[in-house]
Amino acid sequence: MKIRSRVLSEEEILRIHKDSIRILEEVGVKFPNETALALLENKGAKVNWDSQVAYIPESMVSEALKTAPKTFVLGARNREMDVTLPTPHTIYNMDGSGVNTLDFETGARRASILQDIADSARIFEEIELCNIFWPPLSPNDVPTEAGGVVRTGVSFINTSKHIMDEVKVKSEVPYLIEMCKVLAGGLEEAKERMLYSVTYCTVAPLCHDDAMLEATLELSKFKAPILVYPMPACGTTGPASLRSNIALANAEALSSIVIFQLMSPGIPILYGTAQGVVNVRSGMFLEGAVETALQMTAMSDLGKYYGLPIMNAGCLTDAKALGMQAVMEKVLTTLPLVLAEVDVIQGIGLIESSMTLSLEQMLIDGEIANLCKRMKDGVDVSDDKDFFDDIKAVGPGGHFLKQKNTRAAFRTDEFTHAPLCDRNSYDSWVALGRKDMIDHAREKVRAILDSEIKNPLPEQTEKQIREIMEEAERKLPEDHG
Amino acid sequence: MTAELFEAMRNSILDGDEELAVELARSALKDELDLDMVMNEGFLKGIQEVGDLYQSGEYFLPELVCAADAMKAALEVLTPALKQSSGDAGVTKGKVVLATVEGDVHDIGKKIVGAMLTAAGYDVRDLGVDVPGEEIARAVEEQKPDVLGLSALLTTTMQEQKNTIELLENKNIRDTVKVIVGGAPVSSRWAEIIRADGYSDNAVDAVKLVSGLLEKN
Repeated sequence: MKIRSRVLSEEEILRIHKDSIRILEEVGVKFPNETALALLENKGAKVNWDSQVAYIPESMVSEALKTAPKTFVLGARNREMDVTLPTPHTIYNMDGSGVNTLDFETGARRASILQDIADSARIFEEIELCNIFWPPLSPNDVPTEAGGVVRTGVSFINTSKHIMDEVKVKSEVPYLIEMCKVLAGGLEEAKERMLYSVTYCTVAPLCHDDAMLEATLELSKFKAPILVYPMPACGTTGPASLRSNIALANAEALSSIVIFQLMSPGIPILYGTAQGVVNVRSGMFLEGAVETALQMTAMSDLGKYYGLPIMNAGCLTDAKALGMQAVMEKVLTTLPLVLAEVDVIQGIGLIESSMTLSLEQMLIDGEIANLCKRMKDGVDVSDDKDFFDDIKAVGPGGHFLKQKNTRAAFRTDEFTHAPLCDRNSYDSWVALGRKDMIDHAREKVRAILDSEIKNPLPEQTEKQIREIMEEAERKLPEDHG
Repeated sequence: MTAELFEAMRNSILDGDEELAVELARSALKDELDLDMVMNEGFLKGIQEVGDLYQSGEYFLPELVCAADAMKAALEVLTPALKQSSGDAGVTKGKVVLATVEGDVHDIGKKIVGAMLTAAGYDVRDLGVDVPGEEIARAVEEQKPDVLGLSALLTTTMQEQKNTIELLENKNIRDTVKVIVGGAPVSSRWAEIIRADGYSDNAVDAVKLVSGLLEKN
């Protein structure tokens, strides 16, 4: 059977759900936005207009969970890359919070630039289990006010897969919709295809960010799918027990689902989280900790209980360089989520608590993803895999290399390949230059960057996208100036 | 017509189809086809392609072993006629005798080396497992191989590699053959100690080792 793991029992899920409802009803959530507060009050929430806190009853949560669709398709400009949620196996996304890049040529850590997003999108295009691209960086060479539009445009140009981003300011929204219209061939087509979705982060504990809320509410009219993404950390922005931090994160997630379902009933929601723990000496957020992975996995159990597609942060590390710590922490924050049947894991390719991009790490994480998928698929004990006849034919003392089943089986998914791992003999490994995973990944990154861009946009479409980007870069800083 | 036949011979090796290879070899003899062509355009070409496909990562071990056995089976049918023919088709790159030494019944590593060498165009004779030194020495005298490969998987049986080499020395036939050793506990240092001519820790490099040793001759 396929391995399925969970960290919460049915009874424990209900207990934490009740914790979250109690938080929503008795503590409330701050919405610094009049439209949101009016909507909430109108539908039955008690609102304190002075403190901008809404107290949300369980009935509103149940209603929101009813109107949120249980399945939908995230479109890609290349239809072969469309993602149907829930997914049959875990797929991967990047996390957009990076600000640094490990320069591929020099290895030095430097401020990120727009070209890094283009390069990472091209690598992303080649990784099989990667299907949703959140441009991983805030480029240093683009005006902040137009950052979202430009990041998204460059992503659409360099990968044919689904694009996800954050909208931090309302003024970017028309440009983003315009891009989707160009790619889908009209407004209705764009709404239908859903080529673009957004991450929506709450501010722990229990606050919504005014600019991001305003921008995402605006975008929700366009029905772009929304990933709700709380991130409380035990002991600093969240309570110091895993149980209550999970309850707090879930309360924030549910409050987000409520407001977006009220604003735009039926809008697709991805249930997610990026919560964690902290370094107890410095208070710095720890992504690669085991307790972080446990919380993400528990949240996936809750998401399954609500019947929503799930996208959780994972494949994370706090290591500052490629190597042992990075791989150990990434495996520990990936495998449990894969075994818990999370639809999408968000985080590949980044190190230093998702602050720094490495192109090599992207491919290494792609390999971790493949191996975790194989682990999840488990042992197949169906009649198809009963090779008694081979055992009989070979008998005691023979070998199985000449059995027809062997030839066929070596080409199935039952036996994985790990092209970045060294699986040679010692002497061969020495003769090949003692290469490790990072060396192998570097060679492949080089080959991808040296090759022609895969699945490019038609010339005219690319021109239109670039025009929208340029207009945003020209006009948006003025609007804010 | 015959072009298609050579193509079928080539494919029988590429597909590792032993029965078909034998059938095609027999009909080649019956129809008195040009044996140089049968080898160079048919079977030999097939096994060379198999080697290339393996090197490029396209073929895995099972394909290689099946192809090598199909080649061997075809050669067994053709060898008597090849010896009589005036062409050079019967000439292999060299003869290799393989054995797992006495006391050791591990077979698979040696089988893989044998398959690799066959695929590379060598005439490989496998004496089997748990082969006493005397029997190996006799094979060296009678079959006159260019290379003798001694396999041992256990630290307890690798000593027998040394004993076998000493036996060849005592019989004054050590210089007639290059001796190579292999097996999990074996190393190039061990090969030096027991006065073997070479060691490889994997089957691909074993082919390079053999061709290197024979070039020096």
